Amino acid sequence: MTKHEGDAAEGARFGDALRAPARLLTRSSTARALLPLALVLLLGCVFSGQGAFFEWQTHRALLREISVHGILACGMTVVIVTSGIDLSVGSVLALSAVVFALLTLHRGWSAPVAILWVLASGTLAGVASGLLVAWARVQAFIVTLAMMVFARGLAKQLSGGQKVSHYFAGADGQFVSVPEPLFFGMLDRKVLGGNVSVVTLVFLGCALLTWVVLERQRLGRYLFAVGGNFEAARLSGVPVAGTLVFAYALSGFFAAVAGICQAVQETQGDPETGLGYELDAIAMVVLGGTSLSGGRGGVGLTLIGALTLGYLQKVLSLNAYSTELRLMLTGAILVAAVLFQRRLVASSDSG
Amino acid sequence: MQFGATTALSEVSIAFEPGEVHVLAGANGAGKSTLIKILSGAYPSYRGEIRVAGRPRRLSSPAVARALGIATIHQELSLVPSLSIAENMQLSLTGSALGLRSRARERAFAARVLSLVGLALDPDTRVERLSLGERQLLEIARALAQDANVLILDEPSSALSEPERLRLFSEVERAVQRGAAVLYISHRMEEIYRLGQRISVLCDGALVLTRLASELDRAELLRAMLGSARPELGAARPLSRSAGEKAVLEVRGLCAGQAARVEGVSFTLGAGEVLGLAGLDGSGPSVLLRALVGEAKLTAGEISVLGQRYLPTGPGRALGRGVAFLPADRKASIFEELSVVKNASLSALGRFTRRGFVDRARELRAVSELSARVRLKAPSLTSSARALSGGNQQKLALARCLLAGPSVLALEDPTRGVDAASKLDVYAAMADALRAGLGILLYSSELEELMALCDRVLVFFEGRVVSLLTKPEIGRERLLAAMMGAP
Repeated sequence: MTKHEGDAAEGARFGDALRAPARLLTRSSTARALLPLALVLLLGCVFSGQGAFFEWQTHRALLREISVHGILACGMTVVIVTSGIDLSVGSVLALSAVVFALLTLHRGWSAPVAILWVLASGTLAGVASGLLVAWARVQAFIVTLAMMVFARGLAKQLSGGQKVSHYFAGADGQFVSVPEPLFFGMLDRKVLGGNVSVVTLVFLGCALLTWVVLERQRLGRYLFAVGGNFEAARLSGVPVAGTLVFAYALSGFFAAVAGICQAVQETQGDPETGLGYELDAIAMVVLGGTSLSGGRGGVGLTLIGALTLGYLQKVLSLNAYSTELRLMLTGAILVAAVLFQRRLVASSDSG
Repeated sequence: MQFGATTALSEVSIAFEPGEVHVLAGANGAGKSTLIKILSGAYPSYRGEIRVAGRPRRLSSPAVARALGIATIHQELSLVPSLSIAENMQLSLTGSALGLRSRARERAFAARVLSLVGLALDPDTRVERLSLGERQLLEIARALAQDANVLILDEPSSALSEPERLRLFSEVERAVQRGAAVLYISHRMEEIYRLGQRISVLCDGALVLTRLASELDRAELLRAMLGSARPELGAARPLSRSAGEKAVLEVRGLCAGQAARVEGVSFTLGAGEVLGLAGLDGSGPSVLLRALVGEAKLTAGEISVLGQRYLPTGPGRALGRGVAFLPADRKASIFEELSVVKNASLSALGRFTRRGFVDRARELRAVSELSARVRLKAPSLTSSARALSGGNQQKLALARCLLAGPSVLALEDPTRGVDAASKLDVYAAMADALRAGLGILLYSSELEELMALCDRVLVFFEGRVVSLLTKPEIGRERLLAAMMGAP
């Protein structure tokens, strides 16, 4: 009690005039997520890399660069809302890229059929993780770590450890080169007056789909309920196991989508691609303010988090920081941003 | 030893003699646990004086209390399940100068502890493999091995099997023979008189009497424990039964549960009826309620809802068949991060969903109508449940059960830790539900509540129904006596 009264007195001293707008700013989680983004953009304006930051091309490139990670982050948001984690998305992305390249380039399948197969296999990987988490009650961290290793191994097995490209050894041992299928060019194209790449639109489509599920569908309620209080969700009649399986399945599905995009952008299926992407996806989700303890957050926040992380790296690279320094700075700024957000949450809760 | 006042206890003066078992009795909320917490050093901010072996002492922390030879064995045991017996015993030993552990010393100490209570166990056994009784004996032995001269046992026998209980009794008697003072908290009549040489009764934070067990008969003990009726519950709306109604729930020969269990329970619940369930902690009512929604393993018996055979397999299916369960612990019923609306509609979402999409306008209408009926006080329906008081959270949880449209409400102590005003709101919501033709199974730890609200009360003792009281005969004394296993 006495502590509370002390706080109140202090608040009066600082003046309520300043406090009210500050509270408005910190009470909404979106506003809390936008603050770090605004800071990063401000940094970009100040250290603009000889004005490169003010060129539209920079921003267009950035949107394209964060798209694949962003697609993974959409699925990651859903899993994290259930208070889980999915470490396998980077490997499932690589597996999907390899399978897609194999089917379209080497087997000559048409793109729509190949896409269906790849999406199904990615979803299946997610279902497998989800079943282990929901029914076998193994920790999500362990399950998806295992899936991460397994999917990477499978990608290497299928590709023979080589990059799968349009130039390869045929059945008779002779190297052949097939023309790049039309679909590759389509997905890598820029539309809307050459301003937005198709991959970015795919990312926004995934985000919209995730938003609809989380905010408008019954399933979304179940996802938040399971993550917020598993026991209460079970006792309230929520099909907890099915809900968890869905979360991981959706994450696997998005990893497959991201894998196809990656294959198209690289015009090959590289079994080594996507290394560490899961961590970028997690960073995007957390930067947005979705809590790792579950039951709170949303994909809109993840979108902001993705932009924050993307712009941060863009600003650092525009100013010609070395990769080594960029990594170290990114790590430090990540921690700073999360601590900063927590301060805001704490001050809005006590208010 | 002597005490002064605290908030939950006032002006209590009591003395514990060496070589004597002193039983402390009292109803829920009488102040027993406050007294124990003070004595074990967990409540350092008490007023008054405590003398140990004649010298005034300040029990400022659990470590101080232990150093003075006061050992407390709580209901929640303080052993680490994943460590071995020897390692657990070591936790209370002081380490060597370098803070290094000596395995030999550990094992020797553990062996001495085990031999004290005659447990034939390997010191390397992990504690999680021991039965509850063995763990309890282990804790007592540890206290004895550390030369505790005051032993506080808080309802030690509540979870024990019969042989384990007898073993416990003989250990307590041995400790007393060695000159220890034992403070024993119990709810069981038989135990109170078997072990206790002296009996003290607390009621509403005051010491009502202290007497030699041989000079206090059971009737007088019960009267002392009951004290005077609390007035706030007099305002509870009596719930009347519309006679001759159809049965909403029938239970025949139900056996369920594993560690805590019920056996051979049969009853019929009519539409518009409140059937009370009474019993001490662990005596069965909770297991029965959980068994009805598939949360406790059913081993025998038949259940039917609205005349249809029903096999409970889980809370979701139970809701589908019209049985809604409200757990006592709000940690198991409230989603603090979610809004009031989302909390309330969760169990009934199917009704508001079309093709997977939630019709949020209809949902909001239904929830706002219901929240007015349960008189929910919230900043707004979209604010998070965290912002609600405990009483309003409970109303919210009840609203979720009601919105699911059940025919049977299984309520587990729905007013535990709820303020007086909210209690009345909960009762009003129950009365509302009864008029709509629901049947309510109500377990309550407050006798007054059972007396005021129930048409009939099933009294449980050690997993069995020992009596069925109907309205005029539901009195405090009869209830309490039956709950304590008095014939």
